[in-house]
Amino acid sequence: MVLFSIGGRMTDKAPTQGTVMTSFNDTRHLWALGAFLAAVGLVGMVVRREMIPDDFGTTGPYRASALDDIAAQPSLFQADATCHACHEAVKHERAGKSHEAVRCAHCHGLAVDHVAMARRGAEDATVALPPAAEWDGDFLTKADLYISKDRATCLSCHEAVVGMPADFKKIDVAVHLEEQGASEPLSRETCFECHGGHDTAP
Amino acid sequence: MEFHALHDAPFIFPNDAHPAWSIMIVLYPYITGMVAGAFVVSTMYHVFHREALRPVARLAVVTSLCLGACATLPLLLHLHQPLRAFNVVATPSPTSAMAGFGFIYSFYMLVLLIDVWLIFRPAIVERAGTATGAWRGVYRALALGVVEITPRAAEIDRRLVHALSVIGIPAACVLHGYVGFLFGAIKANPWWSSSLMPVIFLTSAIVSGIAVLTLLYLFLCQRSDMEPDAECVRSLSRLLWMFLLLAVVFEAMDILHVAYEREEEWHVIRALLSTKLRFSYLTLQIVIGSLLPLLLLPLPAFSRRLGAGFRHSIAGVAAVLVLVQVAAMRWNVVVGGQLFSKSFRGFVEYPVDWFGREGLLAAAVVLALPMVLLWGVMKLLPVWPPSPESESGAKA
Amino acid sequence: MSLFELPILSTLGAAAAGGCASGGCASGGCSTGGCGTAPAERTSENSRREFLKTATTLTLGAMSLTLLPGVTAGDDMLPLPPPGGDGHAPAAKPMYGFLIDTTKCIGAGKCLTACRVENSVPDGQSRTWVERYVHYKDGRVEVDLVPETGYAGSGEVQPAAEDVLQAYFVPKLCNQCVDAPCNQVCPVHASIKSPEGIELVDTERCIGCGYCVQACPYGIRFMNHDTGVADKCNWCYHRVMRNEQPACVEACPTGARVFGRIDDPDSEISKRLATVPTNVLKQHLGTLPLTRYVGLTDEVT
Repeated sequence: MVLFSIGGRMTDKAPTQGTVMTSFNDTRHLWALGAFLAAVGLVGMVVRREMIPDDFGTTGPYRASALDDIAAQPSLFQADATCHACHEAVKHERAGKSHEAVRCAHCHGLAVDHVAMARRGAEDATVALPPAAEWDGDFLTKADLYISKDRATCLSCHEAVVGMPADFKKIDVAVHLEEQGASEPLSRETCFECHGGHDTAP
Repeated sequence: MEFHALHDAPFIFPNDAHPAWSIMIVLYPYITGMVAGAFVVSTMYHVFHREALRPVARLAVVTSLCLGACATLPLLLHLHQPLRAFNVVATPSPTSAMAGFGFIYSFYMLVLLIDVWLIFRPAIVERAGTATGAWRGVYRALALGVVEITPRAAEIDRRLVHALSVIGIPAACVLHGYVGFLFGAIKANPWWSSSLMPVIFLTSAIVSGIAVLTLLYLFLCQRSDMEPDAECVRSLSRLLWMFLLLAVVFEAMDILHVAYEREEEWHVIRALLSTKLRFSYLTLQIVIGSLLPLLLLPLPAFSRRLGAGFRHSIAGVAAVLVLVQVAAMRWNVVVGGQLFSKSFRGFVEYPVDWFGREGLLAAAVVLALPMVLLWGVMKLLPVWPPSPESESGAKA
Repeated sequence: MSLFELPILSTLGAAAAGGCASGGCASGGCSTGGCGTAPAERTSENSRREFLKTATTLTLGAMSLTLLPGVTAGDDMLPLPPPGGDGHAPAAKPMYGFLIDTTKCIGAGKCLTACRVENSVPDGQSRTWVERYVHYKDGRVEVDLVPETGYAGSGEVQPAAEDVLQAYFVPKLCNQCVDAPCNQVCPVHASIKSPEGIELVDTERCIGCGYCVQACPYGIRFMNHDTGVADKCNWCYHRVMRNEQPACVEACPTGARVFGRIDDPDSEISKRLATVPTNVLKQHLGTLPLTRYVGLTDEVT
């Protein structure tokens, strides 16, 4: 009936049959429609309720446990502090040297498995750590732990590239080896001949 | 800041290399626009009593319904997680322009469904009485079990249809103006960010709706060897011409303002229009899609001398051109906005696949589906208006 | 700053007041125009940004409250403003900042490989990248992308040094905007502004619509090819929650990337921010980034 009165007001044709009584028979189809829509709406609302996670909105406008889910992602890139916990000698070797800021991971890989096994090894003496591999020359290598004495590792930072800060030490390998009179200019390990490893001198 | 689009060494942000929105997002506003536009045509008859449009009034609501039923399809095909689509209504974000879609669309479709049901109830009830076998059950179900119409009920329904059409006008406008807002509210993108976007989308939506109805009407008449109603085609052409003029003015205003003021985004837009969008914008959208129909439409709209057949052919050609215009406009907005990197230093290649969920083939299916649906509905319900005698008989 | 003195924490009150405050956001961001040009200015700007951040969180939280079903307003819902009312009192949650020093970056790409491994970023997509700007003596400016493992051994042809006027590297990562457009547009609350101010993606709620990708002015967000949901730099939220440094910071051998608490005056980042003029990217957009840069030129977009 409400709908009817709305329609009545909005139509610009004067209702000619305004005095005719409206019986239930005249609006039966509208009740049927109303019941149908109400049923659909009800199902929709129940389904919708089910779709909202329980912890939604408890700490802010989002699924609260999402924060924990994201925070649970493992840390893969090892901080030097992790390495130094066991390799204390290396820490002292490097302390105060110009290359202290070069990370262990840059020359030795991500060592994710290595660290995990070392942690287990601390409690279980039967866990043996496999030795480090030789670097395969790929900076995106899948090798977990390696030892790189390859000059490519040094040059990945020091090869002269346009854009480097003026005060950063840039190397043109051929010129540099010539100047320094390197004994084996073609060797991959030439850098270490003069500059050392952990205690890298400038 | 200079835009380095034509620079020797363009630079694009790494993640800009893969545009996030595919051709499906071109189709979405295209179809939604027709939904809104077709409905507006039906209200011209039901609310504004343009009697000339009586022959297409029913066709208009049914077309709007069929297009509307398919409007979410391109979105679902585009979503990377289509099974989670209902999250939009489960946990909608009030700050998101996109979250409104579920509610606006549902409301509009509800209004439209009730409208269509009431308009066609006499036909459904009649067929529930005459049909045999399973069809009888189908029509009874469609009538929701109520298979009689008292004269008083017919009068109530007539008024309800009027009321629903009145409600439907703002609903249809919001449905499509809102799509424009989706793009216009993205400040990251200088080609989209504009307060005129909702108006541009709305006018071009109405234009596409009128055009698709003109075409459908002419096509259906020809197929059933029916002479198209001259006044109806004339009225449709007038509406089309008027709204096209409006749409073109808004679209031009948007560009001209940026161009003349040399706003900071102009360098991006100029580079875009002079290279990547040269054909689809200047040639398709402006010349072929806008200027040509604006020149053609006055013939069927205003001339009383030309033959009916000729006028109707021109109206049909103009409608096709307008549909090309609107398609080009959607493409230019959606794709154009992703053709340059947010570095503003280079263009992005826009890949269009033939196959796959978001390919051209799927797009063709999405476009064809509403027409298949319409064909089905036309089998079920009479979209042509009842003869005046039978209608006055029902009113009595 | 008077907002903190008002006893408004009814849902509507907070929404209305927050609305005003974030309205002031944009103009505030503009008026500080060359923010960080002098140390004194910087300090006041920081406190303003802290305040704005709280205000925005209030607004967003309150706005969703008014519309969300099954959520009732409770005191634990809204981050309460710190007592004291001047915005300097220690916040309940730490506040983080990121500083990029373009004058220190050497373009080695160590941060890039670290990020890709740490966060399983698919090839062809990036949570972080490093741009190189080369200004030639003839006036041209060219930009290219630092290869993932640096230029050394990449075989890329280098510009001739004698043609170059100046050149520098600019690392990019999420700006963690205080008024983040990506968060604003997410239709399903899958974009989360964590209590620490870090923008996260709820990979279980994300529907993969890509609207956030379009809305980020910095090109940081992407649709992850592998997971089919939005992905972005989150400053290694998981590491930060364990009091570790983000992977890229950990991997940087030159200190070009500095991460830390900006609510602790003794942190390295706070000290650096207090002594060096810094800037943000696309400041005119008013997104209020938390990632700040040393040595940005106006060529950088």
